[in-house]
Amino acid sequence: MRRIACAERPDWRAKAAACGFGFHTIDDAPYWDESAYYAFSLRGIEDDIEAPSEELHAMALDMVERIVGSERHMQQLAIPEPYRDWIAHSWRQRDPHLYGRLDFAYDGTGPAKLYELNYDTPTSLFEAAFFQWQWLEDQLARGVLPAGSDQFNSIQESLVEAFGTIARGIARPFHFAAVRDSAEDQGTVAYLRDCALQAGIDCGLLAIEDIGISADGRYTDLDDRVIGGLFKLYPLEDMFRESFGAYLPRAGLQLIEPPWKALLSNKGILPLLWEAHPGHPNLLPAEFDAGGALPRGWVRKPLHSREGANIAMRLPDGRELRTDGPYRDGPCIRQACHPLPAFDGHYPLVGSWVVGDRACGIGIREDDSLVTQDSARFVPHAIVEAARGVLIA
Amino acid sequence: MSLPMKRSRTAALLLMSTAPLLLTACDRNESREGLYTSVEACVAQTNDSDTCRQAFAKAEQDAVASAPRFANREECEANYGKDKCAERNDGANHSFFGPLMTGFFLSQMMRNGVAANGFSSAPAFRDRWNDWRRPADDRRSGSGAYGGVYRSGTGTAMVPITAAPDRAVTTSRGGFGRSSGSRGFGS
Repeated sequence: MRRIACAERPDWRAKAAACGFGFHTIDDAPYWDESAYYAFSLRGIEDDIEAPSEELHAMALDMVERIVGSERHMQQLAIPEPYRDWIAHSWRQRDPHLYGRLDFAYDGTGPAKLYELNYDTPTSLFEAAFFQWQWLEDQLARGVLPAGSDQFNSIQESLVEAFGTIARGIARPFHFAAVRDSAEDQGTVAYLRDCALQAGIDCGLLAIEDIGISADGRYTDLDDRVIGGLFKLYPLEDMFRESFGAYLPRAGLQLIEPPWKALLSNKGILPLLWEAHPGHPNLLPAEFDAGGALPRGWVRKPLHSREGANIAMRLPDGRELRTDGPYRDGPCIRQACHPLPAFDGHYPLVGSWVVGDRACGIGIREDDSLVTQDSARFVPHAIVEAARGVLIA
Repeated sequence: MSLPMKRSRTAALLLMSTAPLLLTACDRNESREGLYTSVEACVAQTNDSDTCRQAFAKAEQDAVASAPRFANREECEANYGKDKCAERNDGANHSFFGPLMTGFFLSQMMRNGVAANGFSSAPAFRDRWNDWRRPADDRRSGSGAYGGVYRSGTGTAMVPITAAPDRAVTTSRGGFGRSSGSRGFGS
């Protein structure tokens, strides 16, 4: 695995505009960054990322089965009591899910270490599935990448296929919803809707804030139609807390991601996985946090923190890193500190996408600090074979 | 390349792209659905007489097995109207009453505006409230759509063909979306 500087496509901004990729620059800071790419070997991708992703995904689904049968686990994950039966039911009737992203620390050699599962509201999807793919095709055509270079990225194909698979099981009318004022979230649901349309699913877009409630506790769209299916790029745990949340268990609304994803997007899954599979090469030691001082070599993460918010990291040498954020209260876990590898002063986090239970691609977010936050840039990757005389670790 | 690729063979966008669709080398897939009271009406709409004839024949064949079943003529006519029901036999010497097929439903995938191979069709029944219904084939809609159980009543396993969704008076909005997020809620 190497970080290789390369020439940007001169017209990439025009290409981004042409495909509706409006958030390539966020608050004047670059988000899409193609001044470099990460080069992987095929073996590294298949053995170190793809296979472990599928294995961990299967372990996570097995864990859901155990959690829904355990009040104690539900309690450890801080699942509000009124939603527990509903979540368990959604798992037992196998409500379909679409996608998730496993975040790994990986330096190209040792086993990739799982930082967390983003299984409810993962983003950086359009960038990984579409724009990164287009970058590879363009740079192959321009000769910037070695001929025969490839990419671990059949994400879009997998999304369209997954939508096609679950199409008949999705209640109509079916809407994609995200908060109105987030260009990034709106771009992500617009892309997912595009994939659903390609699978032949008739569906619309709706702002989360525009969802209505009827007198009999059903959710409505702006035409007063009762919403059948809702893809919500909005955290389940936030929905639980908000004023319309109380209607969820009895509204007859089909959610994607489904309610049982609340058990996996929760960092409490990490100590449970470690407890069930101690010493697994792709897992880091983890435990529920009982408070108190953080020992050296451990990281404290709130159960529901997103985008690297409210993380406390005590490095083995005693230095401490902290990030701000909105998740100040509530239970936390501890995870063994396994710092991201550095490449030319950049710290890449490998996001491995699982769509319809299949590991199908990666996207790399690169930050200038050890904690990957929403300031991290998206940097493309390529599979470049060593047969060309270039040795790639 | 000898090895299978690890990336999508193609990736195109339908609505997000501002580029003309024909230049993006994508397949534009959508479905065309119609409810027809005769093969002639179907051909007039689709200009595809083979498919219309096959869809009609298949719907007619499925009609006996998938129609709602009633224990007696009165119950059936109460739902489907006078003279709209017929006595059937399920082949195991059980007789029952069911509505007569009054139309058929045809669904085809379209590719770049041209019908793709294959179709799905279903018999359609118009009830006495003039709502068109077809047997539910969706696993989420409950069981009982296909044969086997003698049911009376209006038949919960029939779904409306117009798919006109339920409506409800909205009493308030804005009950989701107030949690604080940094720049979005994705992660």
